[in-house]
Amino acid sequence: MVSVKDYAQDSHTITWCPGCGDFSILASLKKALVDAKLEPHNVVIASGIGCSGKLPHFIRAYGFESLHGRAVAAASGIKLANHELNVIAVGGDGDGYGIGTNHFVHACRRNYDMAYVVHNNQIYGLTTGQTSPTSEQGFKTKSTPEGVLEVPVNPIALAITMGATYVARGFSGDLVHLAKLIQGGIEHKGFALIDVMQPCVVWNRVNTFEYFRKKTYKLEDEGYEPFDKLKAYERAWEWKERIPLGVFYKADAPTYENGLPQLQSGPLVKKPIENIDIENLLSKYE
Amino acid sequence: MRINNMTFKAGGEAGAGIATIGSMFCKLAQRSGLWAFAENDYPSLIRGGHNTFTARVSDEKIWALHGKIDLLVALNARAVMEHADEMSQRGVIIYDANKVKKEDISVKRADVRLFDVPLSQFAREAGGEIFLNQAAMGAVVAVLGMQIERLYDLIEKTFATKGDEVVEKNRVAAKMGYEHVKAAKKQEFEIKIEPKRAGKTLLLNSNDAVCIGAVKAGLRLVAEYPMSPSSSVLHWMAEHAVRQEIVVKHTEDEIAAINYILGAGFAGVRAMTATSGGGFSLMCEALGNGGIAEIPCVILNVQRAGPSTGLPTYTEQADLRFALHASQGEFPRIVCMPGDAQEAFAETFNVFNMAELAQTPAIILLDKYIGESMQIVERFKETGMKVKRGKLQTDEQMENADKFLRHQITKNGISPRCIPGQKNGIYVCSSYEHDETGYTSEDAQNRIAQIDKRAKKLNAINPNTYQPAFFGNSKSTFLLVSWGSTKGVVLEAMKELQKENINIRFMHIKYASPFAADTIKQALQAASKTLICEGNSEGQMRGLIREKTGVLIENAYLKYDGRPFTVEGMVEKIKSLMQKGEEK
Ligand SMILES: Cc1ncc(C[n+]2csc(CCOP(=O)(O)OP(=O)(O)O)c2C)c(N)n1
Ligand SMILES: [Mg+2]
Repeated sequence: MVSVKDYAQDSHTITWCPGCGDFSILASLKKALVDAKLEPHNVVIASGIGCSGKLPHFIRAYGFESLHGRAVAAASGIKLANHELNVIAVGGDGDGYGIGTNHFVHACRRNYDMAYVVHNNQIYGLTTGQTSPTSEQGFKTKSTPEGVLEVPVNPIALAITMGATYVARGFSGDLVHLAKLIQGGIEHKGFALIDVMQPCVVWNRVNTFEYFRKKTYKLEDEGYEPFDKLKAYERAWEWKERIPLGVFYKADAPTYENGLPQLQSGPLVKKPIENIDIENLLSKYE
Repeated sequence: MRINNMTFKAGGEAGAGIATIGSMFCKLAQRSGLWAFAENDYPSLIRGGHNTFTARVSDEKIWALHGKIDLLVALNARAVMEHADEMSQRGVIIYDANKVKKEDISVKRADVRLFDVPLSQFAREAGGEIFLNQAAMGAVVAVLGMQIERLYDLIEKTFATKGDEVVEKNRVAAKMGYEHVKAAKKQEFEIKIEPKRAGKTLLLNSNDAVCIGAVKAGLRLVAEYPMSPSSSVLHWMAEHAVRQEIVVKHTEDEIAAINYILGAGFAGVRAMTATSGGGFSLMCEALGNGGIAEIPCVILNVQRAGPSTGLPTYTEQADLRFALHASQGEFPRIVCMPGDAQEAFAETFNVFNMAELAQTPAIILLDKYIGESMQIVERFKETGMKVKRGKLQTDEQMENADKFLRHQITKNGISPRCIPGQKNGIYVCSSYEHDETGYTSEDAQNRIAQIDKRAKKLNAINPNTYQPAFFGNSKSTFLLVSWGSTKGVVLEAMKELQKENINIRFMHIKYASPFAADTIKQALQAASKTLICEGNSEGQMRGLIREKTGVLIENAYLKYDGRPFTVEGMVEKIKSLMQKGEEK
């Protein structure tokens, strides 16, 4: 039996700010992995760069701390190389919805079997507080002292339109609920986005714990069923007055890996590479 | 009468099937036991423009084009007008009388013979315009005095999978072209192909050769974004993916491509991406991630003329310094520059081993010129090719591992490497500087230790595997130096010079990193006259050699017009240097 202890990385102190929402995302992730009964050596957590990107160091599982924005691309390579691994990508809102948007939207289309947990604090944390793609209009930051002019990215709507097959929003202030959402994403066969509202206690004084506590509600509490794409899309636009949490959309669809005949006999990493026969390749040129 | 030694050219609009005629011609030469080298020249567009395919065949091994055109298939007036001056004495131009009006062309040379063949009419009669290539091939076969059955055999082999009807229509077109020439045989032609028996050969370009070398090396994942002149690698890989059990992903961009292969390398799979300068530029940041995180991976850069979009379908060797220094900071990398298809195959295989041994990225530099030029080479030999995975740990080894240090400081800098899924190996593979465990560290002492450890790794590669190759007269005091794709033109020029009893020495450099500085320095010091030729304007290898050996190569022959070096130009350069003595 796997327990939370197995995922404990206690040789190093965590460098996040006290009170940061990242702590509870980490705790939720550990709980989700334990509840999904996965062993740490079969789990790879690929991250980007940002406060959020440091997460792999604080959990005992294989980690790939890639570049800013590249978590999903690296995770895709890992998954294709060994699809028996449980691959989870993590990163920030700038990481995934800004510099890494290209990888994110195309991974949704491909429906790789992986979960992507985004620490969405609506700010660039690590670089000390500039606007992010999810910052709300009018929000004042170091890089937008007069307020943000553009409309924010809507990650939920974006993921639904781009073909993700599990799209959820969690809140770092509700650990148990978030763990369930992450577990659902991990166990889902296909690309799962779990966008997590994660108040930044240093750089974002608007979208605070209080703000989310007041505004959020759970979709499941209102009898919402996540199987209709158009309804999900409609719900994805609810924000100003009330902010829905939970699974917006879930669908069964073949994964990318499933579509590859090369992978049906086992993962690439297990295929022998010694003495490969190239006779048939050469004879084409004779 | 000239037998088995000639140059063929086909010219016409893009989309007219010039490349098909050319490759059919080369295949015929191959099946006739001859050697060949062929170049294509085309602008960056899909329809219109002017495309040419030039092939030289010989009964001895050849490495480059050389000499005038003996037989030209001109599919439009422009092809006649543009290449008439390049014709040899009494050369033959086959043109389509239906498409090229006599009054639109004027060939000043009285000796050149124009031969009209109603190619498009034959094609239509055979079943459509697409059979025009075959009508032209039929005419070519007749001019060269070959048996039409040889072409029929080739047609059958080439189109067998498309069904009997397609084979038949191609055959009919070929027959009409052939018989037209035979019937109208007004004059004898001076060039002839007489089939010989020969050993097993391959007809391919260096892009293909890299693909085969990579497969042989155990490649399992390709992530690539199309970019001329590297796209044929993506197409080749995609075509062979299922059968060879390789996953081939056309990614959203080159940044994704390299990050995929880093992920795959981390997970224990041999992976590669291919691109050209623009794509390689986008990969720079991740290249460094491979360096600091010690991930083996292979990047093929088929150079085209830069900077920026540059001349997309033309050649250049101007990415050498870029490949050596791409990405911020310092880390070891392998940079290999094969000189021909044979080397492209063999060195690609080696490079995969080196990358895994040194746990670091490797870059292969080809260029448009050899990447896309077809040549006939001896069938690749596989003897002695052994996949070596360095310090990659087996599952059994990891079963007993205790406090595994992925980035352990060792004598030669190479640390044991585990992969996810293995028990007892859990670590974070990080783009940050890290300690031996992989944990982020900004400690000064650790920083020095990790930089030094990584820098050492290339020394673990056996120097015999990256030495330059020497050709010609080892006693000559005239040393010509080149790298990568210029090899063939130099070898061909040396053959010409030999005819005049000029025997120079030639050093071809295949690796810019690791760099065989001692050997290169010795060779330079033993020479009294030195010349380097390279396809860039700055003399990038010349500078590198000076930096690494302290020796300045006196003379440089640099070419950066987007076109490959020519044998004629090379011969002239060498001779003028020999006569003049010093030249800057
Ligand atoms: C290519 C590149 N550009 C910029 C940076 C600097 N940088 C590091 S993290 C970051 C943004 C972090 O914001 P987010 O992704 O939202 O993560 P958070 O810190 O908020 O968790 C930036 C711009 C970088 N590391 N790499
Ligand atoms: Mg953020």
